[in-house]
Amino acid sequence: MSDTSLPEPFADLEPLAAVWALATETERNRQRLGSTMAQIQACYDTLLPRMEAVLTYLSTFPPEPPDALPQETRRLLYLALALAEITTAVELHQQPSVPAGFDPQRFIPDHERTRP
Amino acid sequence: MQDRADSHANGKRWTLDHPELGTGPLPVTPYLSTEYFEQEREKIFTRTWLCTGKKGEEIPRPGDSLVLDIAVGKTSLLLVRGKDGRVRGFHNVCKHRGNRLAWNDHGACGSGLTCRFHGWTYASDGRLIGVPEEDMFFDFDKRDYGLSPIAADVWEGFIFINLDPDPPETLHQYLGEVVDLLRGYAFDRLPLSWSYTAEQKCNWRILRDSQLEFYHGKALHQQFAGKVMINKQQPSCHVLDAKLFRRHSMMSFYGDRRNTQRTPMERLMAQFGASLKTFPGVREMDRWPLGVNPTRSKQWFFDIYYIFPNFHLVILSPFLFVAHTMLPETVNRSTWNARGYFPQPATAAESVTREYNKCLARDVWLEDGSTLENTQRGIESGVLSQYPVQDQELLIRHAHKVAEELLASDAQAG
Repeated sequence: MSDTSLPEPFADLEPLAAVWALATETERNRQRLGSTMAQIQACYDTLLPRMEAVLTYLSTFPPEPPDALPQETRRLLYLALALAEITTAVELHQQPSVPAGFDPQRFIPDHERTRP
Repeated sequence: MQDRADSHANGKRWTLDHPELGTGPLPVTPYLSTEYFEQEREKIFTRTWLCTGKKGEEIPRPGDSLVLDIAVGKTSLLLVRGKDGRVRGFHNVCKHRGNRLAWNDHGACGSGLTCRFHGWTYASDGRLIGVPEEDMFFDFDKRDYGLSPIAADVWEGFIFINLDPDPPETLHQYLGEVVDLLRGYAFDRLPLSWSYTAEQKCNWRILRDSQLEFYHGKALHQQFAGKVMINKQQPSCHVLDAKLFRRHSMMSFYGDRRNTQRTPMERLMAQFGASLKTFPGVREMDRWPLGVNPTRSKQWFFDIYYIFPNFHLVILSPFLFVAHTMLPETVNRSTWNARGYFPQPATAAESVTREYNKCLARDVWLEDGSTLENTQRGIESGVLSQYPVQDQELLIRHAHKVAEELLASDAQAG
């Protein structure tokens, strides 16, 4: 079960991690687009107050590749990246997707194939 | 440094400095006409320097290669770094019977590149060096069958190509003033951090023009840019500077980032790393390249450099820029590659700030993307025969004139 746990100080974020700690931008974006605004807002409201502590913790680890991180830390990183993903939904769009935006499935992230 | 913003974005009509451009509407013909597009193909895209969007560091070692299909040139290109360190370009076509030579986007042809069809092998400088059963050909000299070259050169790391193997101007001559204006910018220090590609069912100029003005910032990107762009002294003005070159152009945009209400996440991100929305500060401004925030305004948002015909550099700070590469395929199909260059994270926390900036840029581009195919459909409906161009859309007017001149001058020569 080690890949389903977060570093001890962040154990209370476990329910969020179960949903949002996804490895790639495409997965996190898909999760965002498949969620209600209430779910996204709840994730944002829970994570944001903890984010300074999360980032301080992550500051002591190298950036990449994620595979080189301890499993718990990697999971915390994925959760933090998910907050980066949903922030625009909350702070800019006030809805899960970009309003009337171009189809994200046709906006191909080349960096996922060759880069972090 | 004295803030010169008072004298800019202050009601000046930039277009009137260029009477040769006129002030009238522009025609929609280029978006619709197959004949016009064929002229562009022949007289622009097969004769001018085009940016590939790729950087030399993507093929760092001798023999490293990449393949680019250039639909508008009806060809596939092979870019190879030679043993001498130079990047060369060739048609990706075996000179035996025309088969596609390299198949992978990226490759390494250490001892040579071999065609799958009959095993002909080429060196990284294009020479044909191996032909199985060579003695069975007639009057045959390998020197006659080297790969067909195109011109390739590198500026600030970016690989440009010209399908004319012997172009009348070198790349640096072609780039002109832009070279000096941007010399010293951190192009070599900022790694490629994200890259998105989208096929668009629209004419390449719709794509091009969508990133050639920021009049749309106040409406389409209202949430991202609306407040930053508020100019209380001159509500209609958002341009600090505009420079038109022989082919290329630049615009510097007004923005008061200091007065923007920072979001909670924005504050956190600025605390832990670089940020797209944070004003980069003015203390170091005197040392910025001459062409970055050329008026040295404290109310500076970003600069666009347009390298005709297919490359935009958007410089948002000394530590962040964006590069758009756009290429047509047909009159109403185009490819858009948008790339972000951002400091390499030093910690896992900085990976998060990079992700935040990436998602912000991506969502803004999805807003841009929403207009492209809809605009093409709108124009194809026949409702518009021409369209008005406001003063701060000057770069679109200029780019249209540059293309018209290229199409016309060649017509005379032909």
